Amino acid sequence: MFTYYLQLGLRSLRRNPALTALMVMAIGFGVAASMITYSVFRAVSGNPIPGKSAQLFTPQVDGWGPQQNLKGEPAEALGYIDAMALMRAHEAKRQTFLYPVQLSVMLGGSRDLPLNANGYAVTADFFSMFEVPFRYGGGWSAQDDDARASAVVISGKLNAKLFGGADSVGRTFNLGGHDYHVVGVTSQWNPRPRFYDLFSTNGFADEPDIYMVFSRALDLQMRSGGRNSCRGSLSYTTWQGYLQSNCVWITPWVELDSPAEVASYRRFLTNYAADQQHAGRFGWAANVRLRDVMQWLDYEHVVPPESRISLVVALGFFLICLVNTIGLLLAKFMRRSGEIGVRRALGATRREIYTQYLIEAATIGLAGGVLGLLLTAVGVSGVGILFRPEIAKLARLDVSLVGLTLVVAIIATVLAAFYPAWRAAHVQPAWQLKSS
Amino acid sequence: MNFQVRPILTALRRHKAGTMLIALQIALTLAIVCNALFIIHQRLGNLSASSGVDEANVFVIANMWADMGQSTSQIDAQVRADLIALRQLPAVGDATPASGYPLRGGGWDNFVTMTPDQVKPTTDSAVYTGDEHFIDTLGLNLVAGRNFRADEVMVMGTQEAVTPPTVIVSKALADRLFPDGNALGKSFYAMGTTPSTIVGIVDPLHRQGVDQWSNGYAGQSLIWPMRADDSRGVYYIVRARPGQLADAMREVPKALYAQSRMRIIDPKDGIQDYATIRHKVYDSDRGMAILMGIISVVLLAITAAGIVGLTSFWVGQRRKQIGVRRALGARQRDILAYFLTENFLISASGAVLGIVLGFAFNLWTVTHFAMDRMSLVYVGLGVLMLVLLGQAATLAPALRASRVSPVEATRSV
Amino acid sequence: MLKMTHLSKVYRTEVVETYALRDFNIDVKEGEFVAVTGPSGSGKTTFLTIAGLLETFTGGEYHLDGVEVSNLNDNARSKIRNEKIGFIFQAFNLIPDLNVFDNIEVPLRYRGMKAAERKQRIMDSLERVGLASRAKHYPAELSGGQQQRVAIARALAGSPRLLLADEPTGNLDTQMARGVMELLEEIHRDGATIVMVTHDPELAARAQRNVHIIDGQVVDLAEEPRFHAHAAAGNRE
Repeated sequence: MFTYYLQLGLRSLRRNPALTALMVMAIGFGVAASMITYSVFRAVSGNPIPGKSAQLFTPQVDGWGPQQNLKGEPAEALGYIDAMALMRAHEAKRQTFLYPVQLSVMLGGSRDLPLNANGYAVTADFFSMFEVPFRYGGGWSAQDDDARASAVVISGKLNAKLFGGADSVGRTFNLGGHDYHVVGVTSQWNPRPRFYDLFSTNGFADEPDIYMVFSRALDLQMRSGGRNSCRGSLSYTTWQGYLQSNCVWITPWVELDSPAEVASYRRFLTNYAADQQHAGRFGWAANVRLRDVMQWLDYEHVVPPESRISLVVALGFFLICLVNTIGLLLAKFMRRSGEIGVRRALGATRREIYTQYLIEAATIGLAGGVLGLLLTAVGVSGVGILFRPEIAKLARLDVSLVGLTLVVAIIATVLAAFYPAWRAAHVQPAWQLKSS
Repeated sequence: MNFQVRPILTALRRHKAGTMLIALQIALTLAIVCNALFIIHQRLGNLSASSGVDEANVFVIANMWADMGQSTSQIDAQVRADLIALRQLPAVGDATPASGYPLRGGGWDNFVTMTPDQVKPTTDSAVYTGDEHFIDTLGLNLVAGRNFRADEVMVMGTQEAVTPPTVIVSKALADRLFPDGNALGKSFYAMGTTPSTIVGIVDPLHRQGVDQWSNGYAGQSLIWPMRADDSRGVYYIVRARPGQLADAMREVPKALYAQSRMRIIDPKDGIQDYATIRHKVYDSDRGMAILMGIISVVLLAITAAGIVGLTSFWVGQRRKQIGVRRALGARQRDILAYFLTENFLISASGAVLGIVLGFAFNLWTVTHFAMDRMSLVYVGLGVLMLVLLGQAATLAPALRASRVSPVEATRSV
Repeated sequence: MLKMTHLSKVYRTEVVETYALRDFNIDVKEGEFVAVTGPSGSGKTTFLTIAGLLETFTGGEYHLDGVEVSNLNDNARSKIRNEKIGFIFQAFNLIPDLNVFDNIEVPLRYRGMKAAERKQRIMDSLERVGLASRAKHYPAELSGGQQQRVAIARALAGSPRLLLADEPTGNLDTQMARGVMELLEEIHRDGATIVMVTHDPELAARAQRNVHIIDGQVVDLAEEPRFHAHAAAGNRE
């Protein structure tokens, strides 16, 4: 019976080419607009570290006070003093502290100009906490942190540039005027959004080139290559002065495996802030936060407003296209009420009429889906005009999006056809074919 | 022409589903289109904001130092040498060192207070640093006071919070701090322990960022006379001689590398003219405007086509009825008026719902994205557009209806 | 075959009740050829729609082929229409989008027949109405008489026990009408039960029995068909 209905559907579509084209276009445009914006939204709103997002937390301590903080919220990063205090307390099983660095890479020969290398100064647990995949070697140890070692982990990309992609573990190269030895080479690793550094990035930067030892970067008095945020009047004139200021620039992360650990760390943070108040460093009550990855992404508004607004607008657009389709299907089906009456007289049950028209709608949905797919492909490649390049390139037409486009188009059209088909099925079996 | 509203309403009650679908479609379309118009207008407004920079002739080089262990005095010597070399280039009019530039897309800004111990800031200002060539290089319009003197220009090392005693501010900042208009000679604090005295006022001078949050501080900028000798790097802002922008952009990196090879100028975006800078910083604004434009146009087209389709269906269904009316003496224009009035009634009821939905959507963007409230103008414009669209879409089927012959009345079946 | 006892059909609107049929009794035996006549508005068509299970009735009983149908749901009624009843309409009611073959196929499809059997039956019934060569034509390409023959072929294809015809020749000229009538008589001879509504006294005369309906009630005049045929003719609008 299915093929019979399909034949009938196709025949009927051929009979009113203009109406059919209109419906197919409405579905096609609607589904394409939704899919293009969804592909971007999906890319920017995903969970960057699904396995561990609920175990990784970033602690915040308010070092600015109620009059200067962010409308009651503590700063989005830590200053040196608080970062060091948390680091030394080492209350979590694993913890890492990081800030962005910008360095130059001196290539061996003097013929080549120096290259720019972006990366992070991090502590040893960074690699295990964030499950960084390695092609060669691995991270460094806590001893290296303490020894302020000149160890460095480099990206596969930089490794290709410097060492032709060979296993470079143990080799040495010059970074910003100092020699470093490679301990590991990462495989492609750039979680998006870059949850671990939303203080300095919008979450969608290119893959970092290097990861160096945090204590080593401090030794070299390297200022953050990213953001730096301060309050009050500033008077520092030396590195030491800068470190003691209220400027925030270090992002801390801790790994907490159970609710008990989370509660205990929260207590520790509160106690720490309270101690600072007793000691007179803070003139206000403890104000701390402990957000996990998804809470942090949400708090930092990682999804660009453009993405959210355009998704909602596109969905509204799709809804209008569906309302339009309901109306046109209603017109199309009811115009054939005579034929429906005859079919009913000849013994078609309501269900059979209903099925026939739903299948006809599904073929429209399929055609709309195919058109939508073409438009989506065009749109995804042209999405660069709508979003910043680093976000636009996340939009991709993959298998799942192709499938989703077709399925959404068909299901939406069939849903839109429920009412018109219901009306068609309730046409009375007729004596007369009303053929005016 | 008699507009028989009541009989039309009675007839519409018998076509509830079709009527409601058209009304709903008009409502949703109106809700989206008036918001889209509003967003387009706002974003285009951002796009056309003046930076104050002579954008046709100015470009920026992002210069990073390869050797990060240099002392401040070493860096300062290199910066001075670079500047001398740049200013001597035939295609270059002037050049200045800087820590940032207008429309950079974010950067340094400081809170501003009137007294040193004031905790709650008065306002916020973008901070630019440059030497006595800054104003001339950018082509800023000095509306009051004077430019910096060479002897006022200080040096700021990497770890130093330096507050020069003199400052040039944008008119927007001057007006904000000193609404009475006599800002010249007055001083304020910008996160320093010592005050800066206003020696000049420029108008306009855009901030570095274009983010939503900074809208409250629009156009508030200050320039401090210093060379930012940061171990990480420096921006050189360069003004080309008129008509020689391309030449200057070619000459400058060569001249800098001739001075020293221990620097990094990114081959991709290390050197950008203002057209590029403006294009980049307004990417998302332009994108939003284009997206909203496309969606509005397609939406209106689809809604119009939908109205044509459904009205045609109705006309087809009521041919006999129309024939009877004609036989009973209705003129062609009476039939035309009937269908146009019918569409107007549907559009109007859809518009009422659409206005509610439109404001609801706007409210959502206001609460979630700190966007502005939509003014009634856009709603009015949207209603007008949709009503006209509805009438235009109805016209063709209605004309066909008006040409139905009275003979139809006598045809049975 | 078709037995209605004390059957009534009331159309209700907000203000009035109209009896279309009132205490309506009829008994059509298997193999009969009955002509139903009556003035316009007498309830002929209402009788036929109820007989064909196109509409429900208000009161009384209706046994079709021994089955009481008043309590059947829509699905069961569809199934009976499909399997036991063949319809022949005044306006032919062919589906304009479907060619002759596909039109005849419609009721067979709903019966869920295999393709081979469908084809066999379609060709048999087309053969019977003498249109085997026109299987691929569309209704618009056929004359009125041919269209009605296709409609009859469609009614026959499912081998119904009961044929219901509503003014089968009403839209045809005399010559075509005669052809269609001869076909119906032939079908009757082959054993089918036929109930035909008609205005035409000449046609009515060719039936075995005439039933006259006035004001929703039957006046059975099998003994004097001719007289009432004239009376009916006098009532033509």
